[in-house]
Formats: sequence, structure tokens, C-alpha cells
Amino acid sequence: MLIVQQLINGVMLGAIYVTVALAFNLTVGILNFLNFTIPSVFMLAAVIAGAAEERGLPFGLSGPLSWSAALGVGLAAGLLASLLVERLTFRYLKTRYGDATEHAIPLVSSLGFLLVFQNLARLFFGTQPHSFTSPIADANLRVSGLIVSAPQLLSLAIALSIVVAVTWILRVTRIGRALRAIAENPDATLLMGVDVKRIVPVVFALAGVLCGVAAAIFAVNYGQVYSGMGDEIGNKAVAGMVLGGLGSIWGAVVGGLIVGVAETLSIQFLGGDSVQAVVWGLLLLALVLRPEGIFGHHAIGKGKL
Amino acid sequence: MSQRDVILTLQKVSKSFSGLTVLDHLSFEVRAGERVALIGPNGAGKTTVFNVISGAYLADEGAIVLDGQDIVSKPPRARARMGLARSFQNIRLMPHLSVVENVMIGQHSRARGLADLLTPLWLTRNRHWRQEAEERLRSFGLDTYPHVVTSNLPYGVRKKIEVVRALMSHPKVLLLDEPAAGLDPRETHDLQEFLLGVAAQGVTLLVIEHDMSLVRGLCEHTIVLNFGRKIFDGPTSAVHEDPQVLEAYLGPQDAEPARRLAVGGG
Amino acid sequence: MSGYFGGVIVILSLNVILAYAIFLPVASGQLNLGGAAFQAVGAYTAGFLSTSYDLAVGPSLALSVLAGGLVALFFSFIILRTRSVYLVLATFAFSEFVSGVIVNIDALGGSVGLSVSTHISGTVVLVAAVIAAAIVLLFMQTRLGLATRAIHDDDLVSELMGIGVRWTRVIAFTLGGLLAGLAGGLYAFYFNFVDIQSFDAASSIYLLLFVLLGGTQTFWGPLVGAAFFTIVPELLRSAISAAPALAHALGVTGELDSSWRFIILGALTVAMMIVRPEGAITRIGLSRLQAALFPSRLRKRPA
Repeated sequence: MLIVQQLINGVMLGAIYVTVALAFNLTVGILNFLNFTIPSVFMLAAVIAGAAEERGLPFGLSGPLSWSAALGVGLAAGLLASLLVERLTFRYLKTRYGDATEHAIPLVSSLGFLLVFQNLARLFFGTQPHSFTSPIADANLRVSGLIVSAPQLLSLAIALSIVVAVTWILRVTRIGRALRAIAENPDATLLMGVDVKRIVPVVFALAGVLCGVAAAIFAVNYGQVYSGMGDEIGNKAVAGMVLGGLGSIWGAVVGGLIVGVAETLSIQFLGGDSVQAVVWGLLLLALVLRPEGIFGHHAIGKGKL
Repeated sequence: MSQRDVILTLQKVSKSFSGLTVLDHLSFEVRAGERVALIGPNGAGKTTVFNVISGAYLADEGAIVLDGQDIVSKPPRARARMGLARSFQNIRLMPHLSVVENVMIGQHSRARGLADLLTPLWLTRNRHWRQEAEERLRSFGLDTYPHVVTSNLPYGVRKKIEVVRALMSHPKVLLLDEPAAGLDPRETHDLQEFLLGVAAQGVTLLVIEHDMSLVRGLCEHTIVLNFGRKIFDGPTSAVHEDPQVLEAYLGPQDAEPARRLAVGGG
Repeated sequence: MSGYFGGVIVILSLNVILAYAIFLPVASGQLNLGGAAFQAVGAYTAGFLSTSYDLAVGPSLALSVLAGGLVALFFSFIILRTRSVYLVLATFAFSEFVSGVIVNIDALGGSVGLSVSTHISGTVVLVAAVIAAAIVLLFMQTRLGLATRAIHDDDLVSELMGIGVRWTRVIAFTLGGLLAGLAGGLYAFYFNFVDIQSFDAASSIYLLLFVLLGGTQTFWGPLVGAAFFTIVPELLRSAISAAPALAHALGVTGELDSSWRFIILGALTVAMMIVRPEGAITRIGLSRLQAALFPSRLRKRPA
């Protein structure tokens, strides 16, 4: 029964990883850009939402209006931050020689942004957790001895519906088709008359929104936000993404859930300090045995050779 | 000529990419000291031939024999050490290395043992490497900018440097992928003289080239590919009379104009 | 060596060694986003040997270099098949894994850390940095060093030219590991305290970025990167402590200097990747400088 409970908790935790991992996977899958700013965009959205809620912002609201509006502010912040990243890391970067480390220019640039976002948050919000009060945090369901909290269940539902929605967008809509075309062959897409410059921000906007949603899920579930959560949560989402496979949406889902479950199980059986070693050891093993991940697209990360 | 030893043999070599057959049981022989042209329409598989010979791709089936040894499953660096060198259709010089350093990379397959690899190149025992590279560059008139990073040099110069780099391994067989592409007629003529000089030193040449004047001026023997198969293998002088070749280039109806074109060169 | 400037020089020396530890793999085309973990291996080796076995500084340092090298050798072997983005991720995963493992080893002090009683003077650190830099400088002038740079530019062509690409990559990565181990050992003995927080993912990112901003085409790039990102934060610290009103006006709370240091590095990184992704020091830039300083030596001959 304990294991079942831990599995449930793991899946719920995984829902957050899934959402953030999906944001990663969109940029790496479509643009071949490993966007390391995503953990910090996730953190920024949460921390800004937290600050807005704490000060009764926006519009001087209070009560339930306040926290939902605050989450909206956080979401908008995530969106804006992600678009800013697009402007300054992806848009102007061109490779000149195509040598071994040049593919990493956008990646390096995103590491720079990661440092900026993280440390700005640290400066202006400190390192202590801010509590985030939401009225539904304490609602639990009990099913034959197992506890399932309502926000957790809601989170999982939201995460999965987002996955379905993104899949649908990519499969059915015109923008989605253009995005998939870019993922297949950026040069040919340009020739086909798709305006890549206009489409690329869509990917970043989606990633920003996903980070905002993940931040909201986190704030409501854990009742707190802090400037270090990008490192703690976001990096595990990276692990989930890679484990599932770069560029695969369902890979992000499976990978995120695996990491969530591995985390709760290792806390249960090996103690809290073991999480990091277990999660990253798992990922390292996966990278060595199957570099492209469980559902990975083997072409991603390959150069011109 | 037939008495000369065969130095490179392809036996029924095939290669396909995701279902598309690029080389289809291709066989041919190159004799030591020969100058052979490999020509054919676009997409005939010429560069793929070079890639399977040099080991950039592994052949799906067949044998490749270099100087008596089957090299078909050997790694590229082993083939380089056995005396195979090549240039590339799109210039592949190391962009951040200087001209001399690029040429010295060509010497790498001749370096032996830790002493060659792990002692500074300015030591007395190693100085001959740089001297040799500089001398080679000078003898081809390429010593104007020896310390400039190659990405800053004009196209024609880089093209020649690539040939010099390939020569630095003292190859038995030199594969040149469109050496004259992008060169003007004067430069092409210089290149022809230069390559004839190289061949005179006993290097076997296998050259992919579209410029028929260079092919005629340089190569005594020509192999024509079409859709990954050999359609002609004989003296260069007979190429433009071969009906299959003419058909491959311009289709059956245009055989006559094609013949004139081939004779006219261009 | 002591006092404020002595302290700055020690930090500079450690940063220089670390910069070269990252530079060597990058020069062969492998971005290492786990530098701090290799440093941690060295630091904990030195700390553990000297506290638990009373081993002298010399042998402890030698073994910490060896430990860093062995771990790097092992790691570079298992990731031989991994490329580009996956390689970066693997180094990142590896560093998180290493710190996750170290925290769980009680003999290494767990999350509390390890106190090291033997102290070395700053001079030792400085001398080690000079030696390490000299070794890297010599290595880059060997044929293997040349091959390393060739692989960075084009690994396929390098292989076709007869270079053993995999071996060269393993060697470059292992040499980097040796240097990182050295930096770790020196860190343990100079600061007399080792804890895993000092070797976190942010340190690895910081390291990689200052090497890339310095430039990885030449030996001098990492040196410039390390110097810049050691000295500028120091200047910044004094500037901010001189103008507390400014900091207050910005509404700044929390750890002042380290956060600003990272923000400046981050912003510079973003800007540099747009205008000059190859880093501050490039071969072209150096040869222009050389031409300006010694015009006679590079006289162009007529074509």
C-alpha cells in the first residue's frame, strides 16, 4: 500500500516535470535548440506570481481573485521572458563554420540567460521560500486508504490535457504543420514560403506558457515558491526530457513520470539525500546505453555530417 | 600499360541510403601510376565512390582492395595510413587552423609513436614537419599567407591548399573531388600542370571532374558512372564516342549535340 | 603570499587551472558542462586522504590529480558514442550524479562537508597554476595538440586524414580531468574546507562560460577569461561596497556580489554570443595583433 501511495505521489510530482519537459522538447525538437533557460523561466513565472499574490497585486485584489490573477501574472511573465530569450539567443545567432562546438552557441547563450534570470530572482526575491496561499491546497480525496490530493489530481489532468492539446496543435493546425516542417528541414521550409521568423516565436511562446502553467501547478500544490526551484525542479525536468528522448512529446511524458516516480521511490527507500544520485545516475545510464532516449529522434543533435 | 600493377580495386561495391541505391555492384580497377577520371551526370554516385573508398561511409557489400589488402571494413584513419588521401567537393579545410597547420594535418598519418605525437613541434627533431609543409607550399606558390587562418582566404587558394594537404601524407592513391570547380581557365590549366607533376612522382590519381578539358588534359583513363553503375571504362579519348555515355548525359535524341559538346569541352 | 591581493591571486590561479581543465575538452570539440564535478573529485580525494590517513600534502595532491584524471578517463570512455547536445547533457548529468553520490558518503562528510587541517600557502597554488598552464601550452604545440584543434573544426575530415579522433578526444578529456583534480586538491588544502555546494551546477556553468567567452581557439583565451572573471567581480565588490546607496536604490537584498557577478557574466555571454561567438581572443585577432607589433616578421611576399 505504501508503494502504491508513493507511486501516486510520484506520478503527481511527475506532472510538473512533464509540463516543463514538454517545454524543453518543443524547442529542442522543432528548433534543435537545447534551451537551458526553461528552468529559470519556470522559476521566474512562479516567483513573480508569488510576489504578486503576496502584495495583493494586481489591481489590489484580495481573496481567490488575487491568487488566480497572480498565477495569470506569473504566466504572462513566463511568456514574456521566453519571448525575450527568443529575441536575444535564437534569432541573431548564425553558425559560420559548422565546427564541433558551434552548434552550441544558442545553448551557451541560454546558459547566460539562465544565470541572469536566476540571479535577478535571487537578488529581488531572496533565497527564502515565499508562501503561496491557495484555497484548494488542503482538499484531499481518500480512496480506500490512499490519499490523493485534489490539486495533485487537477495538476495531472492539466498536464495531460496540455500534452494532448500540444499534440493536437502540432498535428492539425496550420502553425503546427509549419512547425513540424521546420523540425524536418529548416531550409526547405524557407523555400516553401513558411515565414520561419514568424513561426519561431510561437515555439518560444508555447514554451513560456508551459513554464507558466507548470509554475502555477507547483505554487498551488506546494503552497510556496522560491528562487531555487528552477534548479531543483527544472533540472529534473531536463532529466525527464532526455530520458524520454529529445524531441518526442510522449517521451517527455514518460520521462517526466519516470523521474517523478524514481524520485518519490528513492526518498521512500533510500532517503532524501539519494534523489539526486538516483535521478541523474538513471539519466547517465540511459545516455550511455541509448543516447537518443526512449522515444528519441535520432537526428537531433547531429551536425552536418 | 596493362603490365602495371593494380593498386586499387572495387569489387561489386554497393551502397544505399534509406532504400535508395546509390552504388549498384560497382567494380573497377585502377593501376599504379595511372591518372583516372571518374565522371558522370549529377547524382551518378561519384562522391559516394570516394566516400566508400576513403571510409567516410561503409560500403553495404563488396570489397575494396588497396595495394593488395581488403580495406572495406577498416576505419578511415587506417586507410589514410595505408596511403589513401582525398580532397573534398566542398572545401573542407579546418577553418580555425592556419594554412601551414592545415597542411601539417595532412602529415598526421605519417607520424609514428608517442615521440612524434607528444613533443612540441618546434623541437629540433620535429622541425622537419613544418619545414616540409612550408617548402611544399612554396613550391606551389602558396606561401603568400602561411600563417593566415584559412577561412579568410579566397576560394581558389583554399582549393589548392586542400590538394597540397592531401599530398602531405605521401599517398599512393590520391582522390580528388572536383579539383577545378570554381577555378578560372588559367587556374585550371595551372592545376593541370601541377597534378601532372604530382602524378610524375608516382602518385596514382583518381579524379572526379566536370571540366572535360581538364579530364582530357590530365587523365589517360576514364570511368563513367550513371545511377551507381559503370557505363564506360576505357581510354579518355574514346569517351565522347561511346553511345551509352552520350545517352546518359543528354538523352538519346540529343546525342549529336552532346557529342559536339563533349568534343568542344567546357 | 597573504592579504587581499594574495587572496585574489590564489582565486585567479585556481580559476586558471580550471579554465584549462575545461579548455582541453572544448578544444577537441567536447563541451564540458560538468567541470565542477571533476574538481570535486580532486578536492574530496585530497580532503579524505589528509584527514583520514594523515597523508602529506604532496602525495595527496598527486592522488587528487590522478583521481580527477581517472574519473575523466572513465567518463570519456563511456560517452564516446554521445555527440553534441547529448554530450553536453551527459556531462551535466554526470556532475549532478557525482555530487549526488558524494552527499551520500558519510566518510566524506555528507552534506556537511569535510574540514581539512593541513594548509598550503597561496604560493603553492600560484606555482601549480603556472606549471599547469605551461603544460597546456606545450601540449597545444605538439602534433596531438594540433590534431585536437583539427578535430574541433572537422572530426570527419580529421579521421580521414589519419587522426584517431576517439583517442584524441579521450586524451584531451582526461588531461582536463587531471587539471580539474589538481584544482580540487589545491582548493581543499588552501581553503581547508570542502563541501559539495562549492561544486554545484552553477559553478560548472560559470566555468564553461568564462572559458568560452575568453575564446577556445588559442591557449590565451582561457587565461583572459579566467583573469577577467576573477578581477571584475573583485572590482565590482569594491564598487558596490563603496556605493551602498545605489544598491539600496535598486531594491537589492540578499547576496550582493556573487549574484551580480553571475548576472554580469550571463548578460555578457548573451551579448558575446550575438556579436562574437568565437570568444574574445581569436586566432585572427592574435595574428593581427602580432602583425601590428612585429610588422617585419609577417611581411607578405608578392603572390
